[in-house]
Amino acid sequence: MKINYLNLNAMKTTKFLFKTMLCLALVTSFTSCSDDDDPAPVNEEELITNLTLTFTNTTNSGDVVSMSSVAPDGLEEGLSTEIVSGSFTSGATYALTIGLTNASESPAEDVLNGDIIPEADEHFFVYAVNGLNFAMTRDASDIDGPDGSKLGVNTTWVAGAASTGNLQIRLIHEPGTVDDSDEFGSATGGSEDFNITFTGVAIN
Amino acid sequence: MKNIFLILFILITSFGSSQECNSVLTGKISDFHDNTTLENATIKIIGTNKITISDEQGNFEFKNLCKQTYKIEVSHIACKTKVVNIEVDGNTYKLISLEHHLEELSEVTVKAKEQTATKTAQETLIKIDVLERYSSLSLGDALKEVPGVSSINTGNTIVKPMINGLHSSRILIMNNGVRQQDQEWGIEHAPNIDINNAGQISVIKGSGALAYGGDAVGGVVVIYPSRTISIDTLYGRTILGGQTNGRGYNITTTLNKNYSSGWFAQVQGSYKRNGDFKAPDYNLTNTGLDSKGFSARFGKRNFESGLELYYSYLDNEIGILGASHIGSVFDIERAINSGQPLLIRDFSYDINAPKQEITHHLAKANYYKRFQGFGKVSLQYDYQYNQRLEFDVRIGDRRNIPAIDLTLQTHSILADVDLDSNLDRKVKFGIVGRYQNNFADPDTGVRRLIPDYDKYDFGGYVTTEWRISDELLVDAGARYDFSRVDAKKFYRTSRWEERGYDEDFADIVIEELATQILTNPVFNFHNISASAGLNYELNSKNTVLFNYSLSSRPPNPSELFSDGLHHSAARVELGDLRFDKEVSNRVSLSHSYNTDRLNVLSEVFYNRINNFIYLRPFDFILTGRGPFPIWEYQQTDAELYGIDLTLTYDISDKVQFSNKSSLTKGYDLATDMALIDIPPFSTINQIRYTNPNWKNFSASLKSEWVFEQNEFPDFNFEVEDQLTEEMVLIDISTPPSAFHLIHFYSEATFDLSEKTKLNIGLGVNNIFDESYRNYLNRLRFFADDLGRNFTLQLQLNY
Repeated sequence: MKINYLNLNAMKTTKFLFKTMLCLALVTSFTSCSDDDDPAPVNEEELITNLTLTFTNTTNSGDVVSMSSVAPDGLEEGLSTEIVSGSFTSGATYALTIGLTNASESPAEDVLNGDIIPEADEHFFVYAVNGLNFAMTRDASDIDGPDGSKLGVNTTWVAGAASTGNLQIRLIHEPGTVDDSDEFGSATGGSEDFNITFTGVAIN
Repeated sequence: MKNIFLILFILITSFGSSQECNSVLTGKISDFHDNTTLENATIKIIGTNKITISDEQGNFEFKNLCKQTYKIEVSHIACKTKVVNIEVDGNTYKLISLEHHLEELSEVTVKAKEQTATKTAQETLIKIDVLERYSSLSLGDALKEVPGVSSINTGNTIVKPMINGLHSSRILIMNNGVRQQDQEWGIEHAPNIDINNAGQISVIKGSGALAYGGDAVGGVVVIYPSRTISIDTLYGRTILGGQTNGRGYNITTTLNKNYSSGWFAQVQGSYKRNGDFKAPDYNLTNTGLDSKGFSARFGKRNFESGLELYYSYLDNEIGILGASHIGSVFDIERAINSGQPLLIRDFSYDINAPKQEITHHLAKANYYKRFQGFGKVSLQYDYQYNQRLEFDVRIGDRRNIPAIDLTLQTHSILADVDLDSNLDRKVKFGIVGRYQNNFADPDTGVRRLIPDYDKYDFGGYVTTEWRISDELLVDAGARYDFSRVDAKKFYRTSRWEERGYDEDFADIVIEELATQILTNPVFNFHNISASAGLNYELNSKNTVLFNYSLSSRPPNPSELFSDGLHHSAARVELGDLRFDKEVSNRVSLSHSYNTDRLNVLSEVFYNRINNFIYLRPFDFILTGRGPFPIWEYQQTDAELYGIDLTLTYDISDKVQFSNKSSLTKGYDLATDMALIDIPPFSTINQIRYTNPNWKNFSASLKSEWVFEQNEFPDFNFEVEDQLTEEMVLIDISTPPSAFHLIHFYSEATFDLSEKTKLNIGLGVNNIFDESYRNYLNRLRFFADDLGRNFTLQLQLNY
């Protein structure tokens, strides 16, 4: 039979509070010693930091026009700088070689041959010019892209009448539809992995 | 079985009567709760014809008892009948306490009396019969039953509740007594709660419910599990549902086993699945959902003490509209201008990237004990494990590696004391300690969105509730919270310098790498919150509620640490280490007018928020994907105000009309601009026919009219298409047009047997297959909202 009800209650209450404090203390002490390790840095894997377009005259390997876009933090969100060196010769034919690398890794990772060409059915290069006279074709040796198209890594460019203007290259990831009937190419849907315009390109 | 014992007992007692029987048993009956004596209690010695009634002082007496143990039953109006064993050995005195405030204290009540968490705040209850209709949907959908509550959506399965224009970290969700911790700062992070677990939900606008936290600038959502009853019984509920839109199906089952001793056990499981939803004109490719939930509770619940162990698990795999995957502002411009998604495929149940996969475990242990003449003491420990995986559209081997992999673990300890021995002067106080750890897995190969951090919280509160008279009740409370964030974060050196952190935060750098630096930001926040209000019953028809609340919210991890690309929004988002806490002062006034046929509730509020943190466009960066807008979290002073109206009118016994309307305004006071994502004016009118005599049949027709939001910040921008050298307008601000939808719902309940009931519900949403876009759906740039949907739900209660 309980008689001393009130005292007992008071004691129990104190006990409860004591226990709570103890638990709180335990939790804090347990956790404060668990985070000594510093996190590991993340090496961004999907970065493209360098794009280079090298146009080489098919009959004169000394005639080279190169265009580069460099974004040390990645083309997707870092500041990018475009440089065009050299100019095209009217009437000459050029073969385009694309370089896509991630220079934040050492040695630099070849994104074009490592990631994009193996998944050519999900990628599509789209080119466009404004103000420039170019005839462009996707080579027979070009890699197959989505839906019977050609990916657009191996292309030939014939420089027309003298002109200056802009040249754009875009890489579309998982496009909805693609069309390369005009050789330059067009696509709907998907997302742009990059969208780079080189300005001040000249055909002399 | 019981009867055998009874017979044995009678036999034993009758044997005993041959002994010497001249003892007297005296005693006193008092109220457990406040020690007042109870008059007119009936005291009966079981197995005999001896019976008596307590006098004015609560005393009673039995003469001529033998030396033995008697079983005595004590009963009193509005009390739970109690049986005690009393050993009589010579003249004996016994104190017996009963509890006669059961209903007020809401512990063992079977009757579902409205039990709100607050008395003067704007609080609305959503009851089980309404929640059951949302079995196939989400918490955020169900909460929209409350006027003034809307949701901010990412598609149709990621539904975040919004209270009076505020959401995410500004809303606190209590799930069965546990503060939900599931990366709720993110606008695409819906609460990981299975609606089928809820027995009742209470929505409190504003931060009046201080016992739960002091940072609920927007409001508090309290989810209660179903009540346990103290009778020997086994019962269950199974809901089966199917929907045409998305070819969805869902099943949930709950089984309860209860004992009169107070022991209870409950298990519940749910499964929901749907494939691609459909807008009136096209499929919404990759909008499937796969959701699995399980929960178990068991414990003992009596008036004097109780114990509960609870565990719940939820696993959601949620597809995000494929067409919303974009890479550049030109993609978003094409998406907006095309008027329909740029990726439409045939229906499929497949869930591909982009998608989210979230697992949430919650475990808690809770114990309470009530002390005579004092009150109730509760202790609780809870643990939550939340893992959020977000899969982006990636290439190569990385396809199956999530781009975001966050694991958030939270431990909490709570102690609460409810001093309710005087029901006219209730006092409640408590303390809470919480430890949280966030781990961002570096194996994603994508820079961490949110850094690794440890977070410590300590809080204490006191609330009190005074009944001044039958008409007037006042309440008040205060709370203090300390919060400490200790993070380890990598910054790109370029960003670190651009933000000027190299000057202001040079001391937190721990390591410098080639292109990144590791920092150790530690922030301490001291937050004071308070609340006071009154509830005044002017007369039998009119009641007025007034409440003032002060709340403070420390900046959340994304507001402090964000620095990177937000893929689905095609923008760079930057947090700020220099942020101070957000402080809200909110006043609210409610008036309710109730007559037999007409009920009107008007709720107005004004919320002034200093240091309000929000994202706004700030600059551009010229990237390899073209120009990208940079959005920066900024602090400003803001105000929100509005009115919510609920009206029901019984046209006849069987026909009821109801209206729910809500108007909210929000402004940035520094720039005089409207705040972004404020719900437009909406009005819902419903006419409902019910006939209890005809299998409880009811049918309702609902008109949902959402206006165009005409007050919005103009964050549109122009970018140069470098190829053509023309400027292109990117219209990300203009809200979609108003829309008006008609919905139908009907149900009936059939008695299959004495204990089995079948409820059949049939509904049609968006009857006229209206094409519309919702301002508060973040995928509105890419696709229309849902088209017509037929739903059928079978509910079996047994």
